Amino acid sequence: MWVCAFAVRADLPDHQVFPAYGQQLLLWAVSERGRTEPEVQAAQKLADQGVETWLLDLVAAYFLPQLASSMDAVPPQDLVGLLRAAQASGKRVAVAAVSRAAVPVLRAAAALDPVERQRLCVMLMYPNLYTVVEPLAEPDFLIVGSLAGLRVQVLQPRRSAATPWLPGLLDHLARQGAVTRYVILENLREGWWARETPTEFEMAESRRMDAMLLRELNNGGCK
Amino acid sequence: MKRWLGVGMLALVLAGAAHAAGLEARSATSAPELRASDLMGASRTLADYRGKVVLLNFWASWCPPCLREMPSMERLRVKMAGRPLAIVALDSAETADEVNAFLSRMKLGFPILLDPDGSNTKRWKVFALPTTFLLDAEGRVRYVLTGPTEWDEGEALGAVESLLDEMSVTAK
Repeated sequence: MWVCAFAVRADLPDHQVFPAYGQQLLLWAVSERGRTEPEVQAAQKLADQGVETWLLDLVAAYFLPQLASSMDAVPPQDLVGLLRAAQASGKRVAVAAVSRAAVPVLRAAAALDPVERQRLCVMLMYPNLYTVVEPLAEPDFLIVGSLAGLRVQVLQPRRSAATPWLPGLLDHLARQGAVTRYVILENLREGWWARETPTEFEMAESRRMDAMLLRELNNGGCK
Repeated sequence: MKRWLGVGMLALVLAGAAHAAGLEARSATSAPELRASDLMGASRTLADYRGKVVLLNFWASWCPPCLREMPSMERLRVKMAGRPLAIVALDSAETADEVNAFLSRMKLGFPILLDPDGSNTKRWKVFALPTTFLLDAEGRVRYVLTGPTEWDEGEALGAVESLLDEMSVTAK
């Protein structure tokens, strides 16, 4: 059984470590709704399969309310430190960010040196990068800085109001220099692992979240 | 007034808020084009409802808040029978099979339109579900609501009544 440790360094945001002997490290920033049990279980399963996983609950780490806007208040430099600590492990580092956690993760990636950024691979699960939106008006996406050379893969549940807007989001990321690809997750809704009334399929996919992440890590060239 | 979507949209979609913040009145603006088909495959545009107040609701069968407000739309339809109100529910980016599966569980008397490729959703700039537009009899957008409500009571019913009253005044 693996032992989970907290805060490997005092100057880095609290994170839960699931150590593994493999050469891959996944830094997983959960959504603004906080860490959930299915995510903890998936992190453990990933570690069991050799992918060291650092589970990061940013709103909890900074004692922020569980709101999307809280993610905008996370200091990017702290996350830069965490990314550098992960890369210093010598393992291949990928980052997964859920919903609005995409904002601090991309800001941190933009603050990296170009060489560090090109070594990174990012998976964004239904990213929320809007600034403001209003019905009948064009969407406005956040500018996070240069993402030149950053590999970004978007995992988008089909059953989401954001799915029709995915092409615009990908264009926005590409304009900032990211190399993008996307995967549509069929028959799933945003946060399917934490739904009040999940479908049978969503429940099954929650149990298989580790396999999905591993598959997309490999398909997305993060391996 | 603009809303922070980071807070608004995800709160609606994930938590399924019981009521939205409220109807937003708009200065009368031309409505975007609506090009959809009904469940029988017939083409539908806003011109089909010209001369009526239109409640255009964007929804999806996977969206709990959308389903929660639908019975109130049906009650509104019954309450407004004989008056010039068209209630139209446009399903966003689902297949006819998915919509029909839902309709087998909930009987609704107002028309359901399909938008399988999401093109209407994009043209109307809908970022959260449900989103509802109230159009006056000239086809202009007068109110917008992001999130669910009880359409047969309170502020929502008042907005519908006010648009119907405008028609009565104009006719006199």
